[in-house]
Amino acid sequence: MTNAIKLAIFLVLAYGAVPLALGGNPYVIGLIVASLTIGGISVAWALLGNLGGMVSFGHAAFFGVGAYVSALLTMRAGWPVFPAMLAAGVGAAIASVATMPALRLRGPYFALAILAYAEIFRILATELKSVTGGAAGLLSIPRLPMVLGIDFGSKLGGYFVILTIVLLAMTGYQLIRRSPYGLALKAMHDSEDATKVVGVNSTMLKAWMLMVSAFITGVVGAFNAHYINFLEPDYAFAGLWTTLAIVSAIFGGYRTVTGPLLGAVVVYLVDQLLFKAILPQGHQIVLGVLLGAMILFSPGGLMPLLVAKFTRKEASHAA
Amino acid sequence: MIDLIAQSLFSGLLSGAYYALIALGLALVFGTMRVINLAHGELVLLGAYVSYTAEERLGLDPLASLPLALMVVIAANMVVYYLISLIKKDRELNSLILTFGIGVILTNAMLMIWSADIHSATTPWYHDAVILFDTLFAMQAELVFAGAGVVLVGAVWWWLEKTWYGRALRAVASNRDAAKLMGVDPRLTEILSFAVAGLLATVSGLALYTAKVIQPSLGHNLTVKAFIITVLAGIGSVPGVLLGAVLLGVVESLTVTIASSALQELAGMVLFLVVLLLMPSGLFGRAKRRG
Amino acid sequence: MLLELDGITVAFGGLVAVSNVSFTMAEGDVLGLVGPNGAGKTTLFNAVSGLVRPTQGRARLLGRDLIAMPIHARARAGIGRAFQVPQPLHELTVRENLIVASRFATGRIDNERIDEILDLLKLGHKAEAEASTALALTEQKALEVAKALATNPKLLMLDEVLAGLETAGKRAFMHTLDAVRARYGLALLIIEHDIETITRLCQRVIVLNFGKLIAEGTPEHVFNDSEVIRSYTGGEAA
Ligand SMILES: Nc1ncnc2c1ncn2[C@@H]1O[C@H](COP(=O)(O)OP(=O)(O)OP(=O)(O)O)[C@@H](O)[C@H]1O
Ligand SMILES: [Mg+2]
Repeated sequence: MTNAIKLAIFLVLAYGAVPLALGGNPYVIGLIVASLTIGGISVAWALLGNLGGMVSFGHAAFFGVGAYVSALLTMRAGWPVFPAMLAAGVGAAIASVATMPALRLRGPYFALAILAYAEIFRILATELKSVTGGAAGLLSIPRLPMVLGIDFGSKLGGYFVILTIVLLAMTGYQLIRRSPYGLALKAMHDSEDATKVVGVNSTMLKAWMLMVSAFITGVVGAFNAHYINFLEPDYAFAGLWTTLAIVSAIFGGYRTVTGPLLGAVVVYLVDQLLFKAILPQGHQIVLGVLLGAMILFSPGGLMPLLVAKFTRKEASHAA
Repeated sequence: MIDLIAQSLFSGLLSGAYYALIALGLALVFGTMRVINLAHGELVLLGAYVSYTAEERLGLDPLASLPLALMVVIAANMVVYYLISLIKKDRELNSLILTFGIGVILTNAMLMIWSADIHSATTPWYHDAVILFDTLFAMQAELVFAGAGVVLVGAVWWWLEKTWYGRALRAVASNRDAAKLMGVDPRLTEILSFAVAGLLATVSGLALYTAKVIQPSLGHNLTVKAFIITVLAGIGSVPGVLLGAVLLGVVESLTVTIASSALQELAGMVLFLVVLLLMPSGLFGRAKRRG
Repeated sequence: MLLELDGITVAFGGLVAVSNVSFTMAEGDVLGLVGPNGAGKTTLFNAVSGLVRPTQGRARLLGRDLIAMPIHARARAGIGRAFQVPQPLHELTVRENLIVASRFATGRIDNERIDEILDLLKLGHKAEAEASTALALTEQKALEVAKALATNPKLLMLDEVLAGLETAGKRAFMHTLDAVRARYGLALLIIEHDIETITRLCQRVIVLNFGKLIAEGTPEHVFNDSEVIRSYTGGEAA
């Protein structure tokens, strides 16, 4: 099966079969929308991790900034929702500029510096009461609008919007990965000096990846705000957004483009449908176990592992 | 106002000594293995919960539950060490994600076992007030654990600087292979540093339980504070940990007095970023270059 | 002048690896840089390409101050470099190595030039092979030169690219370098231990010993200089 056929089948399933089969079940559609939301953050996180070589513990910062920018633009400045969501991406990218001094920090330092930024943004959102409504939060954020007779404000409409956002993000990720920028970033991991010596401005490239990642996360945060129509700092900047994104990306394989999304759907749905039922309190323990197990036994993710097993079997059959 | 500031500085000093206890465990492991144990705060909390259970079920004084809490926390930290030692590739970052996962596991396990309710010590002695110099107020528990903090930091410093084990530990930290050639078993010293970190976490846990309140979700916050202090201190400086912790305690406490309690965490984070970005080797670090 | 070095000094703590070195190169020059192990040759290259910061001294390329530029800007200004220990861009194919070099140093991907370079350096058959795993030593060295060439340099600095090759390989590589020079007319700065090779390739040679420039001139002149001979035999014995 060629990739084009696979893609076509996937698109037909995602845009046709899933809504047809599950459209009547708002609970399940709601879960799928939430899993795609996490998938969006996860794709953005993996883009930064895979291309930029940076592990972030603070993506909630960009998610929250995007959510607030879009909510405030629509509520206070009367912007239409979709342009406001784009602006939210830009807002998150601008917020990421504030975090750029952290780019010269290595590994764990960068990871935790970004976490500090997330905390700072959360506290600022709580304290700037006149703008953000403070801890009380923002109520009745405008729903996604009706366009060409399609009500994007419905559960199913939201599904189409977030699905499209995530797929666009993945397309962008893939385009970057295939471009010379992607090649240079890939080379940078193990041969940083050699890459610089042929003219690559590695700091600048990393900064771009941080901005792209923040942009995607911001748009996803904005979507979520308009989808649930409510925001408060502790929710918008919750560490759980980052945790879920990391678990999904690590589970699905953060070095692949599709892995984070698959990971998010599987991890979130299994968590909500299965473990939440078994362990009403503390079911997220499963996330921790998954994360630990993946890092120890298959740092490349489960999907790549399965694929490798499968193809190896095929190869040995053929031999 | 002067009185308020004086009280604020005093409270900051007391929290500083207690923060030093939390941070030293993290810094010790970081110093030996270049691993940031993101589950460290959860271990502190685990110690606190053991103490809570002992008090609640057996009527034990929190201090009397120390041996039991020590066993539990050190055993847990041994498991953490074992899991980290299984990592073969890219240990610096993978251990970060692994211990982050362990933190999530511990938080949720505590949530399952002890529920989300807030607890604090019921033995009244700990909460009794002490007035020093007619004006400065403190809880007995705060004084006890500030004292314990200073003593333990001093002890660890002495242990690292003056004893053979300490020197072996530092040798492993600076060059694992060379240490091996000198006849030091790196695994043993690493285990030792995890055990000592567990001990420090347990004492911090008792301090937390008796002087403050405990709740399963607090662990993450404690880890972050400990990491902030490690960065302030700079790698490899034990006195730096104490000074960094006191600095954080005082800055937080002054922020609360002068501005608002809501900005307490912000002050710590800003201090952290400023030092991290402007002084990469920390305020008191002896390592010139990082990693 | 193409390259002007003026009093370049590089110290690592107490160790002065390069000490007050000055020389110039004109466009199209081929200059040999020799000296015993640890003399500071690679460190001098690092100072010019930006991997270390000189403690003192100035460096100019076509009149532009190099020292103030970050590494990537020097590459864009015309400094091309082949590392002593080959450093292919990991996880990329040979062709992708050149694509990155061409794109980032010159601003566009010059596919024609890339094909030409692959051809000149006899890497055409390995163009799609993974650079860090699938190349033999000679090919790795050729890729070092190819990468540098793809940046469209004005000055190509070669750090012992011939070392480790057997005689026939060396001869072939020298022909390749002749062809490269004939085609692109660039200046070469060549570090090499083998006197025969240097004599064959270079019009002019400078000698470093313990970081200091101790001799400069034609190969015949320099290799008959008693101080140079002493530094070599002394260096060899140490
Ligand atoms: N980054 C560094 N830090 C400390 N010392 C260094 C560093 N780089 C080089 N040196 C020292 O500087 C001196 C010169 O080294 P360099 O590599 O420049 O010599 P070289 O002339 O290239 O030798 P060879 O012929 O063996 O390649 C050596 O003593 C080396 O150990
Ligand atoms: Mg050399």
